Amino acid sequence: MVATNLFTWQCDLYHPSFLHGLTNRQLCIRKGEEYRRTAKMVNFTIDQIRAIMDKKKNIRNMSVIAHVDHGKSTLTDSLVSKAGIIANSKAGETRFTDTRKDEQDRCITIKSTAISLYYELREEDLSYITTGTDGNGFLINLIDSPGHVDFSSEVTAALRVTDGALVVVDCVSGVCVQTETVLRQAISERIKPVLFMNKMDRALLELQLEQEDLYLTFQRIVESVNVIVATYCPDDGPMGNIQVSLTYSEYTVFYCSQVQPTAGTVGFGSGLHGWAFTLKQFAEIYAAKFKIQPAKLMKRLFGDQFYNPKEKKWNKVGGEGYVRGFNQFILDPIFKMFDAIMNFKTEETNKLLEKLNLKDKLSSEEKAMEGKPLMKAVMRKWLPAGDALLQMITIHLPSPVTSQKYRMELLYEGPRDDPVAIGIKECNPEAPLCMYVSKMVPTSDKGRFYAFGRVFSGKVATGLKCRIMGPNYIPGKKEDLNVKQIQRTILMMGRYTESIEDVPCGNICGLVGVDQYLVKTGTITTYEQAHNLKVMKFSVSPVVRVAVEAKNPSDLPKLVEGLKRLAKSDPMVQTIIEESGEHIVAGAGELHLEICLKDLEEDHACIPLKKSDPVVSYRETVSAESNQMCLSKSPNKHNRLFLKAVNLPEGLPEDIDTGKVEPRQDLKVRARYLADNYDFDVAEARKIWAFGPETTGPNLLIDCSKGVQYLNEIKDSVVAGFMWASKEGVMCEENCRGIRFNIHDVTLHTDAIHRGGGQIIPTARRVLYACILTAEPRILEPVYLVEIQCPENAVGGIYGVLNRRRGHVVEEAQVSGTPMFVVKAYLPVNESFGFTADLRSNTGGQAFPQCVFDHWQILTGDPLDATSKPGIVVFETRKRKGLSETVPPLDKYLDKL
Amino acid sequence: MFYFIGLGLGDAKDITVKGLEIVKGAKRVYLEAYTSILTDGKEKLEEFYGREVILADRDMVEQQSDELFQDADEEDVAFLVVGDPFGATTHSDLVLRAQQKGLQYKVIHNASILNAAGCCGLQLYSFGEVISIVFWTDTWKPDSYYERIAANCKRGLHTLCLLDIKVKEQSIENLMKGRQIYEPPRYMTVSQAACQLLEIAERKRNAGEIPAFTENTICVGLSRVGAEDQRIASGTLKELSQTDLGNPLHSLVIAGHMHPLEIDMLREFAVNPTTFNTFSEDQKVK
Repeated sequence: MVATNLFTWQCDLYHPSFLHGLTNRQLCIRKGEEYRRTAKMVNFTIDQIRAIMDKKKNIRNMSVIAHVDHGKSTLTDSLVSKAGIIANSKAGETRFTDTRKDEQDRCITIKSTAISLYYELREEDLSYITTGTDGNGFLINLIDSPGHVDFSSEVTAALRVTDGALVVVDCVSGVCVQTETVLRQAISERIKPVLFMNKMDRALLELQLEQEDLYLTFQRIVESVNVIVATYCPDDGPMGNIQVSLTYSEYTVFYCSQVQPTAGTVGFGSGLHGWAFTLKQFAEIYAAKFKIQPAKLMKRLFGDQFYNPKEKKWNKVGGEGYVRGFNQFILDPIFKMFDAIMNFKTEETNKLLEKLNLKDKLSSEEKAMEGKPLMKAVMRKWLPAGDALLQMITIHLPSPVTSQKYRMELLYEGPRDDPVAIGIKECNPEAPLCMYVSKMVPTSDKGRFYAFGRVFSGKVATGLKCRIMGPNYIPGKKEDLNVKQIQRTILMMGRYTESIEDVPCGNICGLVGVDQYLVKTGTITTYEQAHNLKVMKFSVSPVVRVAVEAKNPSDLPKLVEGLKRLAKSDPMVQTIIEESGEHIVAGAGELHLEICLKDLEEDHACIPLKKSDPVVSYRETVSAESNQMCLSKSPNKHNRLFLKAVNLPEGLPEDIDTGKVEPRQDLKVRARYLADNYDFDVAEARKIWAFGPETTGPNLLIDCSKGVQYLNEIKDSVVAGFMWASKEGVMCEENCRGIRFNIHDVTLHTDAIHRGGGQIIPTARRVLYACILTAEPRILEPVYLVEIQCPENAVGGIYGVLNRRRGHVVEEAQVSGTPMFVVKAYLPVNESFGFTADLRSNTGGQAFPQCVFDHWQILTGDPLDATSKPGIVVFETRKRKGLSETVPPLDKYLDKL
Repeated sequence: MFYFIGLGLGDAKDITVKGLEIVKGAKRVYLEAYTSILTDGKEKLEEFYGREVILADRDMVEQQSDELFQDADEEDVAFLVVGDPFGATTHSDLVLRAQQKGLQYKVIHNASILNAAGCCGLQLYSFGEVISIVFWTDTWKPDSYYERIAANCKRGLHTLCLLDIKVKEQSIENLMKGRQIYEPPRYMTVSQAACQLLEIAERKRNAGEIPAFTENTICVGLSRVGAEDQRIASGTLKELSQTDLGNPLHSLVIAGHMHPLEIDMLREFAVNPTTFNTFSEDQKVK
C-alpha cells in the first residue's frame, strides 16, 4: 500500500507504554504500522490540490488537543480512515520503500506535522454551515501535536496556524491539566474548540455506569470545558470591544466558543472502537418519527429536557414517568445494544440490528462474531466515528475567511487599516503577502530546515522576493530583517513534500531556504511598511537548564553548530552562551531537556557530550517599598537620579506574561486597566517608560517625577540601564520579576555633553540596584503544578514523596465512578529532579505524574543572609556564574547627597 | 600640594613658566586626556618636561580620585589640563573632593578656547552662553541646546559651540557586558556640527516655528586654535557644513549681531566673500 509513507505520525514519546520501557523508536514503528492498515488515500494531481486551496471557504485548519492517553491517536485514526489523506497521484509504489528507513530514523525528531485530508460533506448538510461554502469538498489540514505537557510549546506553534481545535477528553478521567493548559492557549489565540468525549466504551464496559450517572459525567465535562473557555475568552480581557464588523453568523461562530451538545459542538463515542455521534446524528434518526426538524429536536436531547413516553409529552422538570431526553433517546438504545451483545442475548441483538437496518451492512464474517468484536463491528456500522467527527469539524469549525476576521487584531501588530491588516481580515489572496512561520521542520538535508507556517494574506510563491522579519524586527529599522527570494514553496503532506508554485492565504505550507534567516519563528511579507505578526506566548517557560560541553574539546565547533540546530528544531528550547563561555540549554522540564540533549548528542552535534546536573532558573524580586529614596550620581557627579522600587501588585506580572498588559498596547487603555484592576494612579500609569527585561518583561519603569528639564533626553539611557539591571539582577544576575521602579526626581547637567549614555546608563543601573537592595529583596523559584493519577492505596506514598520535596497537595479527589484518585499539588521545580522515579518506587509504579510550570513563588528568607535558603541559592548561582561570592554591599550603588 | 595646571591650547611649549617649574619638581604628574587634546602627544610632553607623565582617563578622574590624591598632603602632585583648569572643562568636582580630603590645592591658569575664540575677530564681550554639541545616535538626538542658542541669538550675542569628543568610550553593549573594549576616538568636525544645526532648524520649521538661525546665518569654524596650523573659516551655516577644516579639534561660533569692525575681520576668513557680504549685512548691528 502506498498510503503510509505519505504522512507522518509523530512519535508519542510520553505515551504510557513508553514509560513501561518500550524505546521510542519501537513505539514509532508500531504506530506507523497501525496507520498502514487503516489509512486511505485520495489521489490528486498538484494542480487539483492547488485548485482546492483556492476555495478558502471550504478550508478547515485544525489541531487536535488532548491530555496524554486520552485517545488522541486512535481518534485521529478514524478521521484519516474516513476522509483520506491527500496525496499526489504521481507518487508511486517505489517511494514507500525509498523513504521507509528515513521515516523510521527520523520519527524521533519530528514532533508535530500536518496531515491534509479531503472530505465531501453530504449536500443536505451544507445548509448547517451558515458562513457560506464553495462546493461540498473540504480540505482539512489537521495538525497533530504531542500530548505531554513538556511539549506544550509544540502545541502553541500548531495552534497559531490553525483556526479550530478538536478537544479530546477521556470521559472517565475528565478534564486534566494538559487539557486545560492547551485549551487556555487555544482560547487566547481565538481558536474555536469543539469537544469530543472519548472512551465511552470504558464507561459502559468497565465502570458499568448508570445512564443518569453517565449523563452527569458528560455534563460535568462540558461545564468544566466551558468554564475554561469563559475564563480565558478574549472579549473579557483588556482588548474588550472587538472592533470588527462581523455578520451575524460569523459573530455566532466567534462568540459561541462555548461548546454545547445541543448545538452539535460536542461529540461522544469511542475512538478505539471507531464509533462516535453528536446529537445531530440522533436527531436525524428521530426527526421523521417526531415530524420536527433535526435542529429543533437537538435542543431536546441534552440538558433538563424530560420526556414522558406514555403521554408523549416534554417538560423541563422531570417527575413521575418522565425520562431525560438524552437518556431516553440516546443512551438507552446504546445501553440496550451493549447489553444485548455483551451478554450474548442473540435474539435481542438480532431484533435491534433489524430495527436499525444494520443487518445488511454487516459482512457475513462480522455476523458470525459475538461479544466484544461483534459490538465493535456493529457500533462502527451504526455510528461511524469518521462521519460524525468530520461533520462536526466541517460544520462547526470556522474557515480561514471567518476566523481571520476576528483573529487579525490579535495577530497583527501594525495599524488596523494598513494593506496587510485588511488583507488578513478579508483573507484576500490579491493583498500583499503576510505569512507566519511557526516552527522549523528538519529536512533530510542535515542541519537544514523547512520553515513551516500559515499564509494569512496574499500568496507565497517560489521565487517571490520577500521581507523575512524575525521577532526583533522593528518597522523602519534594519535589524532582524532580510530581503530574499523564496527558494521554493512546498506542500508538506506529512513527511513527504511536493513543490508547488504558489500557496494562497488561508493555507499551511513550507518554505525552503528561509531557515538561515530566522531562528525559530518570524513573519514573511511583501509589504514594505508591514509590522510583525505577534510572537507566540508559551504557557510553559524554560526554567530548567543544564550546561553542556564537548567531551573532546576539539569538537567545540560541532557543539556550537549543533546548539544552533537544536534551537531551531524546538519551538521553546533556549541555547545560551554564558559570559564564562559555558553553553547552556534551557527547557521546560527535566524530560524536555533530556530529549533535547539526546537530540543534540545524536542528531544535531553528533559528538559525545558532558552534561552538568540540571539547574533551575530563579528570579529576583522585592517584597516591599525601598526604605529610603535611593540616589546615585553619574561618574562626573553632575547628574543625580532619585528612585524607589516597590513590588508590583499580585497578578500583574502574570498579566504581563500573558500579554493582557503589554508595551505596545494603547496607552490610555492600558492605564485604565491598571487603574481599575491594580489601583494604579492613572497619571502614573500613563507614564510607563518601559517593560523589562527585553522590552516586554514583567518589571516596570515609571516616571513619577514632575517638571524635570531635559528628562526626555536621558530617557533612552535610563531605559537601557533598566533593561540591563532587570536582566541581570543585583543578587545573582538572574532576571528580575514583579518590580516597579519609580523615578521620583532627576537632577541633570544643563549641557547634553555631560549626560550622554556613558554617564547615565551605569548610573541608572546603580540606582536600580540600590532600590532593590533597600526594598527587602527576595528570590523567586519556579513551581510546578503536578497532577498525579493513581489508585487509592498509592495516595499515602504520594504524600510522603511530596512532603520530602517541599511540595504540598492542593486538591485530592476521586474520579467519579472509578477507583482512581487525582492528586494535584504544587512542587518546586528545584525538587522535581528524579521526582517521577521516586514517586514510582514509592507507589509500586502505580502513580503517573504530569508536571507543568505553574507560577513563581517566593523562597522564604533573606537572600542577603548567606545561611538562609535563598542565601544559599544566591551564593551558588554567583559561584556558578563566576561572580564574587557575596552580593556587593549597598554603598557600592547608593550615593550620598 | 595638589596643582591644577593649565597647558594652553597649542603644543607642549604653551605651558606657563610657573607651571613648568611645578611640573619639573612634582612627585607625580598626571595628564587629563579625555576632555580635550593637544596637538602634541604624551611622549612630546615627557620629552619637553624631561620626566614621566601619567595619563589619567575619565574612569581614573571620576571614579578613582584616591589614586590621584595619594600622598598629595606631603608631596606635590601636578594635574595637567589642556586649556585652562576652569575653562571649558570644569574640574570643580575634583576640587571638592580634594577639599573633603583636607588637601591644599593651587590653580595655574592658561589660555582656554573660551578666550582664544576671540582670534576670529568676534569680540569676547558679546558672547552669550557657551554650549556643547553632542554626537547623535540613532535613538538619542538631544537638541535642548537649541533653546540656549536661540536665547543668545535673540539678544544678538555670539554663541561658542564646543564640539563633542569621544575618547576611550565604550559601546553600550560593551558597557553592559563590562568589557574593557573601547571605541576608536571620534572628534566632531565643524561640518558635522553645522549639519546637525541645520537639521534642528529644519525640525523647528516643520513644527511651525521660525528657527533662531537658518542656513544663511553667518558662522565661524575654528580648528586647532593656538597650534601652528590653526584654521579659521567664516561663512553661512550651509557653507560651513560643506567645509573641511582638517584635523581636530574643532569649534564653531554662531555669530549674533556684528559690529562693522567684527564683519571686516571675519571677511578676511570668508569661504565665499560674495555670499558673506550679502548675508553679513543682515546681522549688522543696527
